[in-house]
Amino acid sequence: MANVIIRVNGETFEREVEPRRLLVEFLREDLGKTGTHVGCDTTQCGCCTVILNGDAIKSCTILAVQADGGSVETIEGVGTKENLHPVQRGFRACHALQCGFCTPGMIMNSIALLRDNPAPTEAEIRHALDGNICRCTGYQGIVEAVQFGAKVLAGEDPDSLEAARAAHSHEV
Amino acid sequence: MSAHVPDQMPRYIGKPILRKEDLRLITGAGRYSDDFNLPGQAYAAFVRSPYAHARIISIDASAALAMDGVLAVFTGKDIAAAGLNPIPHDNSLMGTAELQRQGADIILVNSDGSPVVSPAHQLLPETHAHYAGEAVAMVVAETSDIAKDAMTVVDVEYEELPFVVDAVAAIAPGAPQIFDRFPRNIGLDGEVGDREGTEAAFAKATKVVSLHTHIQRVTGVTMEPRAATGSYDPETGQYQLYAGSSGVFRHKLELSKVLGVTPDKVRVIAEDVGGNFGTKNNLSVELALTVWAAQQVGRPVKWTSERGEAFLSDYQGRDLTVDIELAMDDEGNFLALRSRNVSNVGAYFASFQPLRKGVSLMSNVYDVPVGFVHAIGAITNTGTTAPFRSAGRPEAIFVMERLVDIAAQRFGFDRIELRRRNLIKPDQLPYRNIAGLVYDSGDYAASMEAVLRMVDWDGFPLRAEEAKSRGCRRGIGVANYIEITTGIPREWAEIRVDPESGFELAIGTMSSGQGHETSFAQVAAEWLGVSIEQVRLVAGDTDRLVFGGGSISGRSMRFASVVIREAIDRVVEQAAKVVAHVAGVDPAEVTFAEGVLTAGSTTTEMTIMDVARLIQSESRLPDNLRKPLRGEHDHFFPDPGYPFGAQACEVEVDLATGTVTIIDIAAIDDVGRAINPLILHGQTIGASVQGLGQALMEHIIYDEETGQLLTGSLMDYALPRAEGVPNFKVAITETPAPSNPLGIRAGGEGGTTPALAMLVNAVVDALKEFGIEHLEMPLTPQRVWSAIHDKVGNTSDPDLAKLLRS
Repeated sequence: MANVIIRVNGETFEREVEPRRLLVEFLREDLGKTGTHVGCDTTQCGCCTVILNGDAIKSCTILAVQADGGSVETIEGVGTKENLHPVQRGFRACHALQCGFCTPGMIMNSIALLRDNPAPTEAEIRHALDGNICRCTGYQGIVEAVQFGAKVLAGEDPDSLEAARAAHSHEV
Repeated sequence: MSAHVPDQMPRYIGKPILRKEDLRLITGAGRYSDDFNLPGQAYAAFVRSPYAHARIISIDASAALAMDGVLAVFTGKDIAAAGLNPIPHDNSLMGTAELQRQGADIILVNSDGSPVVSPAHQLLPETHAHYAGEAVAMVVAETSDIAKDAMTVVDVEYEELPFVVDAVAAIAPGAPQIFDRFPRNIGLDGEVGDREGTEAAFAKATKVVSLHTHIQRVTGVTMEPRAATGSYDPETGQYQLYAGSSGVFRHKLELSKVLGVTPDKVRVIAEDVGGNFGTKNNLSVELALTVWAAQQVGRPVKWTSERGEAFLSDYQGRDLTVDIELAMDDEGNFLALRSRNVSNVGAYFASFQPLRKGVSLMSNVYDVPVGFVHAIGAITNTGTTAPFRSAGRPEAIFVMERLVDIAAQRFGFDRIELRRRNLIKPDQLPYRNIAGLVYDSGDYAASMEAVLRMVDWDGFPLRAEEAKSRGCRRGIGVANYIEITTGIPREWAEIRVDPESGFELAIGTMSSGQGHETSFAQVAAEWLGVSIEQVRLVAGDTDRLVFGGGSISGRSMRFASVVIREAIDRVVEQAAKVVAHVAGVDPAEVTFAEGVLTAGSTTTEMTIMDVARLIQSESRLPDNLRKPLRGEHDHFFPDPGYPFGAQACEVEVDLATGTVTIIDIAAIDDVGRAINPLILHGQTIGASVQGLGQALMEHIIYDEETGQLLTGSLMDYALPRAEGVPNFKVAITETPAPSNPLGIRAGGEGGTTPALAMLVNAVVDALKEFGIEHLEMPLTPQRVWSAIHDKVGNTSDPDLAKLLRS
C-alpha cells in the first residue's frame, strides 16, 4: 500500500492506496466523486479526462500514486447549477450533450484547451477533442459549445449569446 | 372536459427549450449505473468462453474459491438446479401471427406456419458455449479486483466443436448444426409480398438491376458500458435491479419470468442512462445474474462491464446479407422488386425486429407495384444481434437507394430524374407498399427537392472540376427514406398534483439521452397551463409504474403525448368538480383554458394548484372531493408512425490514400410535429453520424477461421471522432401524422436511416469514372484505394498513374 496526498478541486485528501489503483478509481470510489466516468479500457474514449497539474489527462491511464503531491481538477469543481462555468453554460446552450456520459471529460478537455488557446478555430477545437468520443451528438453541438465558452471567457454576455442562438437556427 | 390549449400561441410546444437535465449532467451530478452502490455489496466478474462453439466438459472453481475474498462461483449447472427460466426475449413482438397482430409491424412468421421462437437463452449455459465471449461462469468476490483475479483461475475444460460465424454459410447445406431445434441453423424462414405477381412482372421487364450486398455488423458502443447492482431482501422476498435500459418495466417483466416469481416481487430502478440506441432494450444475462447471485450470497452484487467485455457481450447490431433485383421498363418506371434478406441473428437471437422492419420497407418511398421478400433469420456462433438505431430500416433503405443509383448509372438515367419519376406522389397516399404497409401522408418529392437545394446539387459539376485539379475526386449522393415507428404498443402515465412538490409525471418510457425530462415537461406544462419548472418526471422506478414500454422504435413522444394529455384531462375533470362545488354550479359548466378553471359565468376562477391547495387545507369539502388530484391513463396504440425525409452529402476522395472527406451534408426530416427542435436537430445529427460511422469505418468482425471476435476494443473498432465529422445543415418539416392528436411521427431514428446509402452513393459517384458501380461498407481508405487500383491499376493515363502511385 502507498500513501498519497492529492489536492482535488482545492481540497486536500490523504489516502492509502494500492500502487495499481488508477486515478479514476481513486476519484470515483475512494473520494466518491462519480462525475468522472470510465468508458473504455484502452485510453481511447476520454470519458475519464480530468486536469492534473494543469494538463488535461486521461485518469484511467494515470495511477493514483503518480498524482501524489499534485493537484487535480474534476467536473465537480468547475461550476455549480447556480454558477455555471462559461463552458458548462455553452454545453447547455448549444445542446452539446444528450446522454451526458462523455460530457464531464469533454468539458474538462475543453477548459484545458481554452486555457492554452483562448480563441481556437473550429479545426483546432475538433483536433483538441479528437481524443474524446461522443456517440450521441455527432460533435457539432460540442464544437459550438466550446466556441460559446470561448466568447464568454473573452467577455461576451452569455444571456445575449443564448438569445441570439434561440433566434437563429440551423434550418435552411 | 379537455385540457386543450389553442395551438396558435404555444408556450412550450415547438420551442427549442434548453434541457432541464443538463444542469445535473454538466456538473458531474449524473447518476449512471456504475455510480450506484449498496452497503455491503460484493462484485461480480464473468468467465467467458474463448471458443465460438464448445461443449463444457467441466468447470473447476476450487482455485478461485480458495482465494481470499472470493464468495462464490456459479455455473450453468447452478442455474439449472435453481430452476431459473431462459430470458423471454421479445415475446410480445415475436411468436405467432396472432401475437404479432397486436403491433403495427408486418406479420412475419415461418412459411411453414410454425411460430417464431428463439433458442433458450439461459443465464449461464449448462452444457455448451455458443459464441466466443459467452459467459460460462460468474465469480462473486469482495472487490472487483479480486473477482477479476479469481476469474482467471477458474478452470474450464472445453471440447471444441465445429462452428460457423457467417449467416449465409450457416444456412448452407453441410454447415455445422448449432442447435438441434433449428435445422440448417434457420430460426425464421418467411416471406412477404406476392411472389407469383412479382415473377410475372420480372418475366416481362426489359431492364433488371441486381445487387448482392452485406450490411455489416456493428455494435452500439454506448459510452456508458452496461452495469448493474442486484439485491435481494429475504424478509420480503423482493428482488431489486439497479441498471440502465430502454425502460425499467420491461426489465421487470422479463426478470420476473427468469426468476419464476410474480412481477410484484421485482423492482427495477434506473436513473441516468449513458446511451442505449437499442442495445440495452433486451435483458442481458449479466444483469439478471447480479440479482440472482445477490440472493445466493446474501449481499448485493455489482457488475460493471469493461469495454473489451462490452464488445464481446453486448447485443450487437445489423448484419444483413441481401440479394435483390429491381425490374423496370425502358422509361425507368419501377415494375417489381424481389429480395432475399438473410439476417445474422447470432447465437441466442433476441429479436427479429431488424429483419422484420427491414423486410417491410424494401421499396422505400417509391411506387413499386408488386414485390416479395424472402426473410431468413440465421443462427450463428456469434454474439446476439438485436435492434440498433432504426433497426432494419437503414439496411432496407441502403439497398433500395443503391439500386436506384446503380440502375441510373447502368442504364443512363439521371439519378434524380429516376427518383422523381418513381417517388410516390401525395395523391397516391394512403399507399400500400409491397409488404402491406400503408404509408399515411407526406410529400416525399418535396423533401428530396429541399435537401438537393441544401447541398446545392446543381452547382456540383463546377466544384467537381476544381477538385480534379488537386488530384481528388468529388462525388455527391442523395438518399430518400421512410421509416416505421412502432414499439411495444401500450403506454401508461400518471399525473399527481401536490401543493408542496408540484406536478409529478410518472410514465413508462425512459430517456437515455433523448431529453424526456424536458420534452415531456414541455407538453405537460403546456396543457396544465403551468411553468415547465413545476413539472417533474419520474420514469426510472417500477414501484411508481403500472406499465411501461420503454424508449424503442420512436414510440416515446408519440405515445407520451397521448397518455400525458389524457392523464391531465382526468386531473382537470377531478379539479372541475371541486371548482363546481365551490362556485355552486354544475361541473359541466366549468371550463378550463390556459391553466385556469372557470365556473361558468360566475367569478370563481382557480388554477389546478389552487384546487390542490384547497383539497389539502379545506376540511369542509365533502369526502368525495378531498382526494389528492391524480389522473392516469393507459393506452393501446395500434398504429405506426412514418417519419420520412432525405439526406444528401458531397464527398471528396483522395485518390492517393482512399480517404473520404465529407465536404457538405444536409438532412431533412418530417417528424410530424416538433416538440423541441433543439432536441430533434441533435437527434438527427447524432443519428446520421452513427450511420456515417457504419458507412465509413465501423465493423464487428468475427474471424471465419477461428470464430474469434477480432474487433474487441476501441483500438480495433473505429468510431467517428470530432475531427472527421462535418457540420450538418438540418431542417424539419411537419406533415401531421394521423395516428395521434399532435401528429407526431417521431424523430429519433430518421437521421440514421438514409445515411448509409447517402454516403456510399456519394463515394461511388466520385469514382464512377473508374467504372466502379458499387462499394461494400465500411468504406475504409484501404477499401476505397483498393477498389480504385483494382480497376485502374494498369492505367495508361500518366497523370492518373502518378496520382495512384503511392
